[in-house]
Amino acid sequence: MDKALLIQLGGSVVAVALLVAVAAWLGAARPTPPLDVEAARALLAVEFPDHKPTALWIAADGAGLIARENDHALVIWRRGDGYVAREAPWRDVSDLRPSHGRLSIRVGDGRPVFAVADDRWPPKELA
Amino acid sequence: MLKPSFDPVQLAIPFFVLAIVLEILLGRFGKAKANYETRDTAMSLSMGLGSTVAGILFGGVVFAATVWVWNHRIFTIPMTAVWAWVAVFLLEDLTYYWFHRIAHERRFWWASHVNHHTSTHYNLSTALRQTWTGGVAGTWLLWLPLSFVGFPPAMVAIQKGVSLVYQFWIHTEAIKRMPRWFEAVFNTPSHHRVHHARNARYLDANYAGILIIWDRLFGTFIPETDEEPCRYGTVKNLGNFNLLHNVFHEWVGIGRDVAGSKSPREVLGYVFGPPGWSPDGSRETSHTLKAKWRAREEAASRAAAEEKAPSPGASPASRVGT
Repeated sequence: MDKALLIQLGGSVVAVALLVAVAAWLGAARPTPPLDVEAARALLAVEFPDHKPTALWIAADGAGLIARENDHALVIWRRGDGYVAREAPWRDVSDLRPSHGRLSIRVGDGRPVFAVADDRWPPKELA
Repeated sequence: MLKPSFDPVQLAIPFFVLAIVLEILLGRFGKAKANYETRDTAMSLSMGLGSTVAGILFGGVVFAATVWVWNHRIFTIPMTAVWAWVAVFLLEDLTYYWFHRIAHERRFWWASHVNHHTSTHYNLSTALRQTWTGGVAGTWLLWLPLSFVGFPPAMVAIQKGVSLVYQFWIHTEAIKRMPRWFEAVFNTPSHHRVHHARNARYLDANYAGILIIWDRLFGTFIPETDEEPCRYGTVKNLGNFNLLHNVFHEWVGIGRDVAGSKSPREVLGYVFGPPGWSPDGSRETSHTLKAKWRAREEAASRAAAEEKAPSPGASPASRVGT
């Protein structure tokens, strides 16, 4: 590989690092306040417009939710300053056991961790 | 004639950097709509850097193929003629439209292009979120006919660079609308926001590079509406910030589906069908998502009409809710 190309690549790496540092330092991310019931329902309507969940649980820190529609769990969690939504069989979610106030779920390419108020699962809102 | 004397993209890199810093500042101080999330920005810029490296690694093959085609050309088009630049501008942009459309509507090419759409943000750094696997996907083959007709490879390369540089500035929420005449002819931030939106109503639209006229001509144009703001990303947003997952996830998905296929028809469907295709129709494609959205819209407008219309036998007083 010729020297000029290496210098150019090195310069690009430095430029990328600096730009990321500027973005982190200035903090221009979207605000993501903890979810309340209204925000959670709005999020469900956007992510799962064809579903009609009958029960809703919001994580203790407001960073995610699990809704239930019969044998179906609708899972939404915060990733960065946005949200990711996935579906899972309710049984897979109800069989989980929280540990030290945390509940970890494996849903496809995501492994969200939900804050739970106590280690009782499933919570009364979803049972 | 073979190698361009300059690369518009290389020349524009300092402008890219300054424009991103400016957009971050404008967003931070509330002067314009612009959001930057650190890991999302890191992913976009790393994708841009990796794409450059992938381009260098695969560039030799593309260059050799282009030269071979050029050596078998029909005409010899002079690089110094103005008409030739006008022609290459239009033909390259038309080629880009079809490349981009195929890259969205067929899964094999979507696997390479999806990376550009995985950001849930729409800012200038998103423009640099470029593919690493374009060489493997072979979409560069679409530009070979230009050299076969007789456009010098250097001319095509410069025009491709100009198109890429043009498309940088339209990746922003900071600009709401351009003048009407401009919106009618050119691809703009508004048109391209629609293209990056994951709202069902906006899917598979506005494939243009520089000229939006191709979308208007081929029926893929959808205007941005204020009633439904764009939500960015893919229909199913990525569940993590893993760079390699972002680059290869759709390829892995194709491999997994092909491995589980029960017939050659299924293999073809999984590889070359629209993204989301499945033999039993259990997965969602853009087409089914749009159909469901339309059905919801119709149901909502019917419900609204019924609410407005007086029910038979109702007294005038009951109609006004007294």
